Amino acid sequence: MRKLAVMVFLLLGFGFAQKVHLMWSGAITGPTSDAGKYYAQGVEDYCKYANEEGKTGGLTIVCETRDDQYNNANTQRNFEEALERGDPAFLGYSTGGTLQLKPLIQEVGMTYIPASYHIGNIDPPDNDYLFLPIVSYSEQVIALLEYIAKEKPGAKVALAVHPSPFGRAPVPDAKKAAKELGIEIVEVQEMAKGLDYTATLKRFANKGVEYIVYQNVAGPVATMIKDAKRLGLKIKHAAAHYAGGPDLLRLAGDAAEGVIWVTSYFMPYEDAAGAAFVKKLGERYKRPADTIESVHYPSGMLAAAIAIEAIKRAHEAGKPVTGDAGREAVYAEMLKLSFDPGLAVGPVTYTKEDHVGVDHMRVLRAEGGKFVPITEPFQSKLFRKVHYGK
Amino acid sequence: MSYLLQLLVSGLVVGSIYALAALGFVLIYKASRVINFAHGQFIAVGAFTVYALVVYLKLNVWLAFAAAILFTALVAYLVEKLFLKPLVGQPIISVIMVTIGLASLLDGLIHLTPFGGGNFSLPRFLPEGGVSFLGVSVSYPQLLAVVLTALFLAGFGWFFQRSTLGAAMRAVADDQMAAMSLGVSVEHVFALAWAAAGITAAAAGFIVGTVSGINLESLVAIGLKVFPAVILGGLDSIPGAVVGGIVIGVLENLATGYLDPLVPGGGTADVFPFVVLLLVLWFKPHGLFGTEEIERV
Repeated sequence: MRKLAVMVFLLLGFGFAQKVHLMWSGAITGPTSDAGKYYAQGVEDYCKYANEEGKTGGLTIVCETRDDQYNNANTQRNFEEALERGDPAFLGYSTGGTLQLKPLIQEVGMTYIPASYHIGNIDPPDNDYLFLPIVSYSEQVIALLEYIAKEKPGAKVALAVHPSPFGRAPVPDAKKAAKELGIEIVEVQEMAKGLDYTATLKRFANKGVEYIVYQNVAGPVATMIKDAKRLGLKIKHAAAHYAGGPDLLRLAGDAAEGVIWVTSYFMPYEDAAGAAFVKKLGERYKRPADTIESVHYPSGMLAAAIAIEAIKRAHEAGKPVTGDAGREAVYAEMLKLSFDPGLAVGPVTYTKEDHVGVDHMRVLRAEGGKFVPITEPFQSKLFRKVHYGK
Repeated sequence: MSYLLQLLVSGLVVGSIYALAALGFVLIYKASRVINFAHGQFIAVGAFTVYALVVYLKLNVWLAFAAAILFTALVAYLVEKLFLKPLVGQPIISVIMVTIGLASLLDGLIHLTPFGGGNFSLPRFLPEGGVSFLGVSVSYPQLLAVVLTALFLAGFGWFFQRSTLGAAMRAVADDQMAAMSLGVSVEHVFALAWAAAGITAAAAGFIVGTVSGINLESLVAIGLKVFPAVILGGLDSIPGAVVGGIVIGVLENLATGYLDPLVPGGGTADVFPFVVLLLVLWFKPHGLFGTEEIERV
């Protein structure tokens, strides 16, 4: 009887809790859905967890993951729907979609957290309401160049980038950083998904390239690494966040041994509280092993955690959390947000001037079929100098 | 010199994969004059079937390949019976729209399985490394691609030249009315052409999966990448599909090797074959080996 009473009480409580909608729009199908699928699951699972564990300040956060098929028009439609409904924040995805929506985001004043870590998202103009969850692609690539410069001073490097704004994002900063570091960027090659990269690799080898730095997705990188191994080339491979991870190991197999990768997230097999948390949540919501292993799963969780924390704090401060006033209140909380959800290698901190959440990353190396950290969490020494001139 | 040779050999390898994928396309067009925009999805069905059988049912990879060929052929056969057969005699634009819709439907169905998003890799069943000659290197999966393509082409060549069913299919392709008057079931031939295309799609999916991993988007993209190959070779020509596929593969590699350094960012491999395609079509509008149809008033 007492159990029944408690259940009725809880159900009534759930029914009366104020509902706040939070939408994620990204590629569950279509291009890059190999990342988007897991990202969406991360958003969904963290949201469920936050509601079930009372981490929402008494609110019921209704998370909705929408498949925009990597199509900017769909992203815009979803964003406008969320806006009309009075959502206080929005979780985005692609670089193209985010860059296209910037003026609208600025106009309506909606906090927007994309999965794209393009520095252009948070650069002026129209950048007030955009927040990156972790370090930008530019900072990731510069960090890799710093690592290479230390390992092989004066190294010859090629950049193999995705043929899109996502791929091209870090190129100007990487070129400036290479000059400062005394390493040579021999070539920048745009590299779409292909069946064979022999021609590109032979050309790189003829030019004396010693390292290839990838700002790409795992598929083409895996094929290129396998081709390099088959050709017997001594070129080393270094991957930015979306170019590496367990997907790369799965696709490239043994050829991935020795590849270095930079990311702000933990690996699920690491002895770290954040890694254990991700694993626990994946098991709790009955996610398959490939989801739990994917680096995109905690990425989605982190984006949801940031938005939910800001909404919760606004609500606890007695401010409205929906409509125009809700957007304003959540944005005000974002500008002073500082907390550590434990999902990445550093805390999330935002200010009016700093729109990068987790400011740290690590370099990992593929050893025995796993990415193993080979540095402590760090920030790029050069990024701020080459990008902001300070 | 070995650089040029390597580019040509790599182009030949990639081109033979395009040729195999293009073959299915041509088989359907040749028999029924239908351009199948869902061909990439059939390639994906084949690749994921092999993967599922090998990983989940622990089947031997060659057995799984054989089963995937049968399964994809059956799916293609049923698709023709269900969706294309009622459209016989309807305007070509209706048929094209159906194949576009079919592509979306198959995409959606694949996304309902565990394979929709994500990257997958077949367990290794070939030795590491490859063969080298004259400074040129070819991996074992790439070698397998060339051998399988050659086998399939020889098999289909024999089928069309020597078997009764192949002769019936050629008859339908040449003149449907004449073929019907000789007792050939055109409906049956159409469905068989789709099944044959399913066989080549499964083979192409298996090869692409072996060479570069299995990902829905990439497999579908291969299905679209064969368009320039079949247009270049001639939509209704099997030798044309082979030549077109190989020419596109070689041109891509030569562009990457020699033109990319001249263009900031590179990426000429995606453009150069189309430039050549436009030039060829200027002089030969029906492609290199396509049937030139002359209508006399």
